[in-house]
Amino acid sequence: MRRETSTGHRSPVTGHTSIVIGLWLVPLLCAVATHSVGAQDEGLKPAVPYVPTPQVTVDEMLRIANVGPQDFVLDLGSGDGRIVITAARKFGARGLGVDLDSSLVAEADGNARESGVESRVRFLEQDLFDTDLGQATVIATYLLPFAMLKLRPRLLQLKPGTRIVSHDFDLGDWRPDRMTYVRKNVFLWVVPAQVAGRWQARLRIPPIERHLELELTQRYQELSAHARLNGVPAQVWEATLAGDRLSFVVVDTTDRENEASLYFEGKVSGGVIEGELIRGVGATRSVTGWRAVRGQL
Amino acid sequence: MRRLRVLAGAAAASWLFSFGAGAAGTDSDIPTPYLPSTTVAVDEMLRFADVGPADLVVDLGSGDGRVVIAAARGYGARGLGIELDPKLVEEGKANAQQAGVADRVTFRHGDVLVADYRDATVVTLYLLPNLVDKLKPRLLELRPGTRIVAHDYGFSDWKPDRRIVISKTYLLYVVPARVAGKWRLHFSRPEGERVYEFDLAQQYQEIHGGARVAGGYLPAFEARLSGDRIAFVLVDNGVSYRFEGRVQGSALLMEGTVRSGVGRNLDTGAWRATRVVPGSSEG
Repeated sequence: MRRETSTGHRSPVTGHTSIVIGLWLVPLLCAVATHSVGAQDEGLKPAVPYVPTPQVTVDEMLRIANVGPQDFVLDLGSGDGRIVITAARKFGARGLGVDLDSSLVAEADGNARESGVESRVRFLEQDLFDTDLGQATVIATYLLPFAMLKLRPRLLQLKPGTRIVSHDFDLGDWRPDRMTYVRKNVFLWVVPAQVAGRWQARLRIPPIERHLELELTQRYQELSAHARLNGVPAQVWEATLAGDRLSFVVVDTTDRENEASLYFEGKVSGGVIEGELIRGVGATRSVTGWRAVRGQL
Repeated sequence: MRRLRVLAGAAAASWLFSFGAGAAGTDSDIPTPYLPSTTVAVDEMLRFADVGPADLVVDLGSGDGRVVIAAARGYGARGLGIELDPKLVEEGKANAQQAGVADRVTFRHGDVLVADYRDATVVTLYLLPNLVDKLKPRLLELRPGTRIVAHDYGFSDWKPDRRIVISKTYLLYVVPARVAGKWRLHFSRPEGERVYEFDLAQQYQEIHGGARVAGGYLPAFEARLSGDRIAFVLVDNGVSYRFEGRVQGSALLMEGTVRSGVGRNLDTGAWRATRVVPGSSEG
């Protein structure tokens, strides 16, 4: 799988260590890198290899992240700048690339000028761990597993809905929201909102108002949920969280003669979840709004 | 394995359990008990199948007719219920009359294993696993794109296209077109038309394959089949081509659009493939 990269693409970049050698080194460097975690604490920089991402993979990463003109793409370890430049040239986005290697930063600047996108992209010689991630709507990475895991807590603090794309290496037990395989594995994560805790809502469903108590526990975007409807325990089904969008289903058995599913969809914003509530299906379907707040009513 | 599933599933309802345990020796002769679906279960099946006015919903083992009556009343669909118990057939007819949908639903007395329901666009079933598996060969003969919704029990080796759990487990299967075999794939590119020898292997809706080109093989990535809709990606010479199209009724031709590039640099062309040699598909 790795070997095809070396034959499949002529990098537009020249003057780098041969890609073939770079690729053979990856497994070796992974091992070295793992061992150097300890050394890193003593102030030594781990060796991060420069392996350019094939253009097909760059395209696939930006495609599954659904990059558009409103986006700001941050590439951590930007190399010759191809991801940020492609984001600007093909998707109309703006972007910033950071890299530790000053000669690569200069080369990326040159490539941006050549592509005519220098007004929309910037490259900085900077450690990715010193970079402000908060400015990005999309973060692209191609880092070895130890670096991905080191970055993970900071990624989880980002604004809900921020997309992270990577290839080959994932984020450990934070499962990707989407994954495609076109020559290489490409992963997409969407930073989930922090929704864990207790929520309360009054639901305006005729003929009687229902009181919903919702308790959410969260592991990344995966939720487990418990609810009480008018004080009666009710199971919560199909609970999903994508960025700041929450949805779940509760079966409303308040009226035994008229049981129906309640389909909740809402946007999480700080201490409030607000959205649409559908009761029932087909001709008996009714739609209302709902609003939940944290803690007690 | 199947034995276990019968018992494990049946354990959910205690009286069903006694059925399953009693028939432990003769797996295939377990009578199908009549256990009506709840209102919520009927709702979920029809919602999950995305039933609409253009649909003919066929319920295999229709009982008192609640599924097809709900499909007609709630979604404007037409319905056909097939039921082995003649008393329940009469009950279904009366219930349809009462619900004011007698002109849109019919009930037929018969065995679901031999009944003719080839015009179905949606099939709903709530049957024990041994019967579900026996129905499979005939369900696979239905028009590609026909949706099958089962609850609690699905097919033993055909993976559902989608699965949801709302009190019960609902499984959605889309009847796949038969695409296995060797195809000749023509597609237009800015620099002219290209022809590939394109092979597809298939197990139900799961497909894999690739194109044979001079000096190599291009695997089809992200290959998907849903009913008569097919999609796959070929990477040739550092460029990815995203194919999307439809398999025509005869299954001898498929055609659609092919996109290369991304974002603003998107080129769209047309592709068509003709089947040279049919393949055998398990499914």
